[in-house]
Amino acid sequence: MNVLPLFVAIPLGAAFLTPILSKAGNRISAVLGLCANGFIMGLSIWIIQYSKDTIVYFAGGWQPIAGIPIGIAMVMDGLTVVMLLIINVVGFFAMLYSLNYMTRYTETGKYYTLFLLMMGGLNGVVLSGDLFNLFVFLEITAIASYSLVAFGVEAEELEASFKYQVLGGTASAMILLGIAVFYQLTGTLNLADASRVIEGIGLNPAVIFVGILFLVGFSLKAALMPFHAWLPDAHPSAPAPISAMLSGVVIKVLGVYTLIRMFFNIFGIGRMSFVLIVFLILGTLSMVAGAFLALSQKDFKRLLAYSSISQIGYVIFAFGLGTPLGFLGGLFHLINHASFKSLLFLNSGAVVYRTDNRDMEKMGGFSQRMPVTGTTSLMGSLSIGGIPPLGGFWSKLVIVIAAVESHHFILAGIAVLTSIITLAYYLKVQKMTFFGKLSDLYKGVKEVPVLMCVSMVTLAILSLGLGVLLLPQLRNIILDPAVNVIAGGLDYAKMVLGG
Amino acid sequence: MNPLLYPIAVPILLGLICLIIPRRAKFVHEIIALIGSAMTFGLLIWIFTLKPFEFLMDGSIILRVDQLSGFILLASGLFGFLITLYSFKFMKEANRSTVYYGSILWTLGAACGALMANHLVVLLVFWGFLGITLYLLILTGGNLAADAAKKTLIIIGGSDALMLLSIAFIYSVTSSFDISTMQLSAGNPLIILAFILLAVGAFAKAGAMPMHTWIPDVAETAPIPVTAYLPAALDKLLGIYLLGRMCLYMFEMSRLMNLFLMIVGSVTIIAAVMMALIQHDMRRLLAYHAVSQVGYMILGMGTGSPVGIAGGIFHMLNHSIYKSCLFLSGGSVQHRTGTTDLDRLGGLGRMMPITFSSFLIAAFAISGIPPFNGFVSKWMIYQGLVELGQVGDKLWIIWLVAAMFGSGLTLASFMKLTHSVFLGVPSQSVESKKIKEVGIGMTVPMVVLALLCVIFGIFAYSVPLKNFILPAVGNVSYLGIWDPGLATVMILVGLVVGLFIYYLMGNVKIGREANSFIGGEHLPTETRVTGTGFYNTIREFGLFRYLYRWAEAKWFDIYDQLYQLAMNVGRFFGKAHVGIFTVYMVWVLVGLTLLFVFLMGRW
Repeated sequence: MNVLPLFVAIPLGAAFLTPILSKAGNRISAVLGLCANGFIMGLSIWIIQYSKDTIVYFAGGWQPIAGIPIGIAMVMDGLTVVMLLIINVVGFFAMLYSLNYMTRYTETGKYYTLFLLMMGGLNGVVLSGDLFNLFVFLEITAIASYSLVAFGVEAEELEASFKYQVLGGTASAMILLGIAVFYQLTGTLNLADASRVIEGIGLNPAVIFVGILFLVGFSLKAALMPFHAWLPDAHPSAPAPISAMLSGVVIKVLGVYTLIRMFFNIFGIGRMSFVLIVFLILGTLSMVAGAFLALSQKDFKRLLAYSSISQIGYVIFAFGLGTPLGFLGGLFHLINHASFKSLLFLNSGAVVYRTDNRDMEKMGGFSQRMPVTGTTSLMGSLSIGGIPPLGGFWSKLVIVIAAVESHHFILAGIAVLTSIITLAYYLKVQKMTFFGKLSDLYKGVKEVPVLMCVSMVTLAILSLGLGVLLLPQLRNIILDPAVNVIAGGLDYAKMVLGG
Repeated sequence: MNPLLYPIAVPILLGLICLIIPRRAKFVHEIIALIGSAMTFGLLIWIFTLKPFEFLMDGSIILRVDQLSGFILLASGLFGFLITLYSFKFMKEANRSTVYYGSILWTLGAACGALMANHLVVLLVFWGFLGITLYLLILTGGNLAADAAKKTLIIIGGSDALMLLSIAFIYSVTSSFDISTMQLSAGNPLIILAFILLAVGAFAKAGAMPMHTWIPDVAETAPIPVTAYLPAALDKLLGIYLLGRMCLYMFEMSRLMNLFLMIVGSVTIIAAVMMALIQHDMRRLLAYHAVSQVGYMILGMGTGSPVGIAGGIFHMLNHSIYKSCLFLSGGSVQHRTGTTDLDRLGGLGRMMPITFSSFLIAAFAISGIPPFNGFVSKWMIYQGLVELGQVGDKLWIIWLVAAMFGSGLTLASFMKLTHSVFLGVPSQSVESKKIKEVGIGMTVPMVVLALLCVIFGIFAYSVPLKNFILPAVGNVSYLGIWDPGLATVMILVGLVVGLFIYYLMGNVKIGREANSFIGGEHLPTETRVTGTGFYNTIREFGLFRYLYRWAEAKWFDIYDQLYQLAMNVGRFFGKAHVGIFTVYMVWVLVGLTLLFVFLMGRW
């Protein structure tokens, strides 16, 4: 049996069950959500063994005729495997964390429904083999996250969610317009098939027009500068586990993954090499401006949100280098960022959980009272700051070497200087929040409940040790297949449809 | 397992065990730390006899011990052991022994790794890891140390990032990470840039200007053994080791690169010692000397002549010995009196004779007084500078004057320190306590280090130079002859003759009463001479008044300036984020339009 549909079916199915079950108690829906997420996390780990293959699932058994697909396809290749891993591992631990954390809120049954919808949408985006389904899943994810951002229903949360919806809606509109023109151009929505047709058409203004629409639409989803402005409001306003999902996973799947898939595998970067330059410019702009903005923040979660912009800038910058080493660096950084950024958001959540405060100027000395939170956040901070031998260092190393190898000396220098600023603002967080003097107001603060600790500790271990992915044995089965998919470019069509 | 892996693996594993064991079992931590550091020291002695020795993995040399790294490893092992021993008593009150001893061991393991690394990335990994352990060690100093810890890791970690860039440059030119086979010619501008960036990493570790500003802050707030261990000893060894590795093996030095080193060196010597002169806190004063002395080492490296480089490396070894000794003696003083404020100390010489003698020997050594070790290495650096003049460098006299002047000022500030802490009239706070000598766990490390100062001075050629330094540099020729053995005999003979004459005079009253000579300053009868006030004259002297004022306002602190700049840039960007979504929509439209204009423009 082909397991690919399960990634979508299980969370969506659970999402429809939770509102019914929550009549019997919110706790039941929480447990159901956890089980669903746990199952697909196991599935995503189990499926690593097929990372070198391209597995295609045609819904309803509608096999392609003469190499032309007629039904809906789900495709899993090396890149998808990596994305599935990120989504489901982070998703599971965010869910685990929610069990304790969400006791702050009411109506948690709805929360689990939305969370599971988001999970289903995310898995669907990376698995779907045709453009329209990709859009549908993207919208499912986006709408679930709009409502999750507003889940606290305070003024601030509602406002943030509103901005998020307007800008996210703009992005969706552009993507939909792009899809329409794309369909008119190629006569197909299947990605692999379209890739072949486009190859036949060559480069004409209509293709570039579609390219620009996708570029802007997906950049908005990825929060690249200057399309980022919704993120610093939306990510901090959400409940902490959702912030972790939004920053750690959602912007990567809806933004980075889609950009890479579209431009490297469908349009073909050889023909549209200007996209690489756009990537380099947007990436550099985001990483530099995001870092400066983060440095001057006083709000814990807002700082993390700006940092996400900066880090996504790194990822896009690395892909913009256009070399296999750059792809490796970008993907590796994507994975690392998923682990430490979600960890840091969970840490911030732990602080909020105990103090109801996000203003770092009023904090200090928490590591005495909350040793687990303090230690894990230190690990995450040092890792994202690129201190060896922690995970973040290795992706930084690969990205900088890739940049120098492709003779972008100045950009390599900028990337390095930005990493110093990154280190600076994370150490600022450490100093202001976890070290220094404990204020009298928070004398009674104590460690957060055990499930939250378990999530943080696991993610901390991941963000410390992800450097092992560069070891040849592991690299062979996780990173390299994904890099090969991106570097293989238009071979995607051949891999999916055969021939 | 390859022998080279042991001194890395043993301390790091034991350190991990230390971190796992709960904090109440302080005794266990101490035992593990002591066994770990002793074992590592033993292993390093064994490895020293094995050198040159290599560890290969997949056909490339990952770790390698040669003449240069061999003796530095030995020295690191010794410091690790002595500091651990010293810490037992000193860190008694602190209840952070888990992190403290764990980090001490990790530091030792990582330092061994960095010194043995023959692969640039491996070097960078261990090098950077030392930043974390330093950060954790500083944080054991409690609440006040949080700021210093942050600053330190930003400077150290930031310069590690620059080293990463440099390594990427080197890799793009040579396609190799192997240090031992590297021959980088100065013809390529990329290589010169790589040299400067790598040197910045070495400077930050060793504490040369302008990357030095973390050292005084750390010294002031972190526990003293930490300062004695890292900024004073291991970080110096590592920083100058890297610089030596670069100058001697990796890079073909051009004149410009040497000039760069010499400018950094001389500025560091003078500026730091001037700052040291005006300090009121013992730890801060010592820290500025730890910066100033780095200048000598870099200056020696910059001469490019074998004797100068040998002198620089020898000075590094000597410095780590006497500076560690000074910090440890300072720590003993703090341990007994509870303060390091010079105005509140005094007259401790009688109460703590062992501490006083160790301190005095180390102070003589750092001031370059023969026959102690500091003199020999400075002497070699001077020779290197003179040699520079002989081959036609016109600027040599500037460097020489800077070096000698700096040495004089060092002596001046140590007179202040010796006087205010150990001599003179005890302050009230000292007198009110019953001060006695510190215990044996603390005296042994000090005495061992002080003895090393003497041995490395008197037997400079037969012990350290012959076994450690000269094999690493090779081809050292001397201009001036300095025979420390003979000189010592002469000095001793002089002293004996002097005493003899003194007794022959017989009828001279032994000990005479006189007013303290304080350089013609006015002395109100009710105050005691603290030694610090006297030096305030410098602060008020002409142009210095402004320089000091600016320095204390952190105008010259590269970290502070850049941090403020970055904050302002951040706030500027922050102002643009007004929170009104129509403005954000405009940004999106502008981005969209620009993309259309540029990408569709050509059709």
